[in-house]
Amino acid sequence: MTSYFVRRFLLILPTFLGVTVLVFTLTRLVPGGPIERMLNEAAMAGADNAGATSGYDGHGAGALSDQQIEELKAYYGFDKPVLVAYADWLGKVLTLDLGTSTRYSEPVWETVKGRLPISIFYGVATLILTYGVCVPLGIVKAIRHKTAFDNLSSAVVFFGYAIPSYVVAIALLTGFAANLEWFPLGGFVSDDFDDLSGLEKAGDVASHAVLPLLSYMAGSFAVTTLLMKNSLMDNLAAEYVRTAIAKGMNFRAAVFGHALRNSLIPIATSFGNNITLIVTGSFLIEKIFNIDGFGLLGFESLVERDYPVVMGILVISSLLFLIGNILSDVCVALTDPRVKFGSGESGQ
Amino acid sequence: MPLLAVEELSVAFDTEDGAVTVLDRVGFHLEAGETLGLVGESGCGKSVTALAVMGLLPKPAGRVIGGRVVFAGQDLIDAPAEQLRRIRGNRISMIFQEPMTALNPVQRIGRQLAESITLHEPAATAAVTRRSLALLEQVGIPAAEQRLSEYPHQLSGGMRQRVMIAMALASSPDVLIADEPTTALDVTIQAQILEVLRTLQRDTGMAVLFITHDLGVIAELCSRVVVMYAGRVAEQAPVEPLFRAPRHPYTRGLLASIPRLQDEPKTHLTTIPGTVPAIGELPPGCRFANRCPLAQALCSERTPMLETLDANRTVACHRWREAVAS
Repeated sequence: MTSYFVRRFLLILPTFLGVTVLVFTLTRLVPGGPIERMLNEAAMAGADNAGATSGYDGHGAGALSDQQIEELKAYYGFDKPVLVAYADWLGKVLTLDLGTSTRYSEPVWETVKGRLPISIFYGVATLILTYGVCVPLGIVKAIRHKTAFDNLSSAVVFFGYAIPSYVVAIALLTGFAANLEWFPLGGFVSDDFDDLSGLEKAGDVASHAVLPLLSYMAGSFAVTTLLMKNSLMDNLAAEYVRTAIAKGMNFRAAVFGHALRNSLIPIATSFGNNITLIVTGSFLIEKIFNIDGFGLLGFESLVERDYPVVMGILVISSLLFLIGNILSDVCVALTDPRVKFGSGESGQ
Repeated sequence: MPLLAVEELSVAFDTEDGAVTVLDRVGFHLEAGETLGLVGESGCGKSVTALAVMGLLPKPAGRVIGGRVVFAGQDLIDAPAEQLRRIRGNRISMIFQEPMTALNPVQRIGRQLAESITLHEPAATAAVTRRSLALLEQVGIPAAEQRLSEYPHQLSGGMRQRVMIAMALASSPDVLIADEPTTALDVTIQAQILEVLRTLQRDTGMAVLFITHDLGVIAELCSRVVVMYAGRVAEQAPVEPLFRAPRHPYTRGLLASIPRLQDEPKTHLTTIPGTVPAIGELPPGCRFANRCPLAQALCSERTPMLETLDANRTVACHRWREAVAS
């Protein structure tokens, strides 16, 4: 099994190279970029100036001279062929230098680092809530299959699943923040956060988090809950549960002592991928609640053609994704003793 | 008083077309220490009978709608869940047809075996391990110590069925219900498992209710036989008289269907024409009438009652005398 995981880790390298080459090339092929943006800004400034101080014979539309543009291209590395530029970029990444944001003019890592606490907070909170609620809910629904509780909770869960999360977000924001004023309108913390005591700080973060978290959860509840429910129901009907009861176990003990671990196997197949939660985040929900997370950062860096940030986020998220896949395999191997990766001696 | 008596037991299952009666007033008894065979074609209600006795009918679809199951003087049908739990696996144990799926795939053998011991008699770990090893050796599992730390998928089908038997024996039960325990195994392993069961029955003196569709196994293992057809008892008798002089036309058909070594090679195998009527389309009167060579108009009109022929033989057939004569 060890050799299997070593192989899997080695395979990260070519996959990572493939993903980054592809995206790096794309950033070169699509129109627009930091230089075009600067030219535009300069042109706008020029136009404004022209309006304000009429008659001034400035640069106007041709805000920058060709020589200046060439210098800029050299500065951003656009003067080199794609593969050479990619090699330069990769060399820097290997020394843990993700480059400099063209939009914020600060190291990409600084930009990313600023968003990390927010994203980790929402990622971990979503993770805990998803598994903390969906797994127990799925268990209860399986045991009480076709009861009023089961039907009602299914209705709620599917309702949440059917509505786009940004609609939920707007509805929550209008209802509970704007009208009822139970929760703040947005942001991660209040403006006076630094003046609050420790406990007040926690309360402040929590009250800001309620509505965004609800919006995130509304859609993701259905999948895990129903997966858990169906998986457990399959196992409750399994013969080994009947064996356990025939041995003299009561039903409840058979559910938790025998069926539960078996029914967690399908859940485990995607558990490791949760590691990527810390760099994901819905751009729409972040936008609605004015949260400076990864979703917003990724979207804005794309719109603004801030390629170093785009590539930086890609490096982090693709690495996490690849590691997450391996972690999922580890989780499956931990829950299911029949799984023996890579050693052909498995039972069935 | 018999150790286990099934009296007029009727069981219904809910289907999409409404409730269907799958067991119709089934009755038999099991004396302490004897081996009773329950035989019949697939779908005749053998397994349902066993599950009903154990209180293991699939819920909520299956339910007992009449009759009693009396074990050691106490009715199990209406017994409270906790009381039933203390009997299951302790005084009445059961082994199943599919050893491949009857064990929990993610738990070690040792843990599953230990569980059947401690569920009824909490004991220290060392004592439980000793008892587990003794049980595995009793059912003929070599390298027992190593098996305890293995998972079911690391064992062959025969070994798994031995583990199942060991678990069933954990509390030295009075009754072992064996529901086609050898059907899923190949022939040589079948013979080994039967040998294990026979030895255990002799050594422990437990009563065995042996469910099978294989008359050969019945002849080898049982002292008495109950023949079931389409949810009813057709005939019951001690093994030797049943094989020598079957009374019910169905039993006669079953026995005639066994190929014999002395038969001319490549002769056609004898079969009972037709098939068992589907549950939900059961005809009135005798359910075997449409396949019976001796059926008359009466057979499709009136349900034959179980007729006691002598102290230990009963048959449910209007025409058994003609059957004997033919």
